[in-house]
Amino acid sequence: MDDGKHDLQYALFIHLNLGVAMEQYLEQISQAVVKGDQNATIELVQAAVDAQVDANTIMQKGLIPAMSDVGRLYEQGEYFVPEMLISARAMKAGLEIIKPLLAGSDLKPAGTVAVGTVKGDLHDIGKNLVGIMLEGAGFSVHDLGTDVSPEQFIEAIRTNQVDLIGMSALLTTTMPMMETTTNAITRAGLRNQVKIIIGGAPITQAYADKIGADGFAPDASQAVKLAINLVNQR
Amino acid sequence: MKPRERVETALNHEIPDRCPMQISFTPEFADRLYHDMQMKGRGIHNPHGGGNTYELERVLGEDMLLTSVGWANSYYLDDKPYIDEWDIGWDIQPYQTPFGSGHYTEIVGHPLADDDAISDYQPPDPTRPELYDASRQMIRDFKDEYWIVGVTVTTIFETAWALRGYEQIMLDMSLNPDLANAIMEIPYRYHLTAAKKLVELGVDMIWIGDDMGTQDRMLISPIMWRQFLKPRMANFIAEIKSLNPTLKVAYHTDGKVDPIIPDLIEIGLDVLNPIQPASMDPAQIKKEYGDHLCFWGTIDEQRTLPFGKPSDVEAEIRHRLRTVGKDGGLILSPTHHVQLDTPLENFWMMVNTISNTPYSSI
Ligand code: B12
Repeated sequence: MDDGKHDLQYALFIHLNLGVAMEQYLEQISQAVVKGDQNATIELVQAAVDAQVDANTIMQKGLIPAMSDVGRLYEQGEYFVPEMLISARAMKAGLEIIKPLLAGSDLKPAGTVAVGTVKGDLHDIGKNLVGIMLEGAGFSVHDLGTDVSPEQFIEAIRTNQVDLIGMSALLTTTMPMMETTTNAITRAGLRNQVKIIIGGAPITQAYADKIGADGFAPDASQAVKLAINLVNQR
Repeated sequence: MKPRERVETALNHEIPDRCPMQISFTPEFADRLYHDMQMKGRGIHNPHGGGNTYELERVLGEDMLLTSVGWANSYYLDDKPYIDEWDIGWDIQPYQTPFGSGHYTEIVGHPLADDDAISDYQPPDPTRPELYDASRQMIRDFKDEYWIVGVTVTTIFETAWALRGYEQIMLDMSLNPDLANAIMEIPYRYHLTAAKKLVELGVDMIWIGDDMGTQDRMLISPIMWRQFLKPRMANFIAEIKSLNPTLKVAYHTDGKVDPIIPDLIEIGLDVLNPIQPASMDPAQIKKEYGDHLCFWGTIDEQRTLPFGKPSDVEAEIRHRLRTVGKDGGLILSPTHHVQLDTPLENFWMMVNTISNTPYSSI
């Protein structure tokens, strides 16, 4: 009787401490990513894994909230491209550690996305940020690079079970390729399988409507919100 | 008024007969113009003026002629892949427009991509006399008539990003500032030497620049700009102006950069280019800074020139003349090289409206 009570107290004690430790790890991981401290992120994620914190929890409560903070700071004009890149680098390092563990779990990605800058266009920093933020929100991201032809987008849809295509164009001379690509996807009979979102300096919601894309976002963190909404609609 | 007087007057914040005009084109747009005017072009047209004949510019009635020495001349060097003298690799990127196909040149090889590559990197030599032959010649031929601009754009940051890689140089600025500084020193020194030489040869204005803006915000924070770019630019401007106190200095940056305009004025800038109207309202910028700064650009090429009607082009130019052009201080120009997607009707409407609108009629 006494022993049983003791066991229960002990279990409660362990549970509480682990809980506190876990909260602390997750909070610190988030802070390290927001600060862009890659080494601290690696150490903390490893420590959390060693302390049996579940990989899924590290992702959902550590890395994802961190990148969403980073996106908010960018939207608010406190962070600029370099700060985003540094946080992304830290996030990716953390993600590397838990990826093998996530693969073993039954966690599904938020969605599968292929991003690319359309044919003729080489501007890639905006597209890269969109890819990073989607990855940081738990999407599985295939980056098709720059100068991506309609055929390459179609190929990506066919081979990767893509839910969402993200096209970027920074030039008025290349933005018509967004329409060409959208039409090619339709002609290939794949339009119902994927949502299409577009963005880049000259792109507007009106243009997205005109070419029959499913959405437009003016920056990377709003691109994430848009992607989540669209994928949830499916 | 002679073109050069027209520009000089405007840059002295006075009103010339009409607003000065400057227009550059991509090689393919230049071909289209040659064809349209039944003229014969020759060679690849360099939008920054390296090796140009200035035939188009003069026929169109432009007021400033550009001559470029520096890394920016590596754009459009060839129509097949090449490695420039900085060891930067280039690829050719074709594209289609309703008016035919064109090609851009794309930076693909970064010689300083490895952290230690800088230790034995040899930049090209900016003191080679032959680098300045074309500039010397065009100054001799045209300075009487035209306002001559010595171009050393991609002055610091843009050449550094080509040497190192776009994202990598931005990571370096936070994580390895010593390396970022060492890399930026290379183009900075090169272009400063070139600019001084151009001033000695007699150019009226030096055009420096680095893209610091994206469509709706700065690319890097103003704090970072003040740390890495501002001190170098301040020194650059001071050194070239010490050679010729009447020299004007223009600065190019795309996008939205209003947080650093007061800094630019503080370090002695005379002219800001190109004021992308989708990013910053030119009338507002004029109101705030027009007493201290002149403006070169302001004609939208993300909406009006490629997609607008000729009447939109005309209306935009008249609006600019009334707002930004008030009391002079304006040189009208599209916000980048005119792209191949621009209908000729819009192009001619731009040229004709600027040429045929005397200030007295506004
Ligand atoms: C940097 C830059 C370059 C660099 C590109 C380097 C690189 N690797 O990317 C270099 C110097 C090589 C370059 C070249 C050229 N450029 Co440029 N460039 C720019 C500049 C200054 C900034 C672009 C940038 O990197 N922004 C930073 C990122 C973070 O912002 P972003 O791309 O807008 O992305 C954000 C959003 O748009 C959105 N987003 C972007 N993609 C997507 C996708 C999806 C799916 C979603 C939802 C959202 C989204 O989220 C992103 C993050 O928040 C712009 C100026 C401007 N106003 O944008 C000119 C600009 C785009 N360039 C211009 C031009 C003309 C050119 C050239 C054609 C010049 C020439 N040779 O004639 C070449 C083209 C080469 C080619 N084939 O593409 C013009 C275009 C004008 C026009 N008519 O459209 C601009 C607008 C400048 C100007 N003064 O007018 N350029």
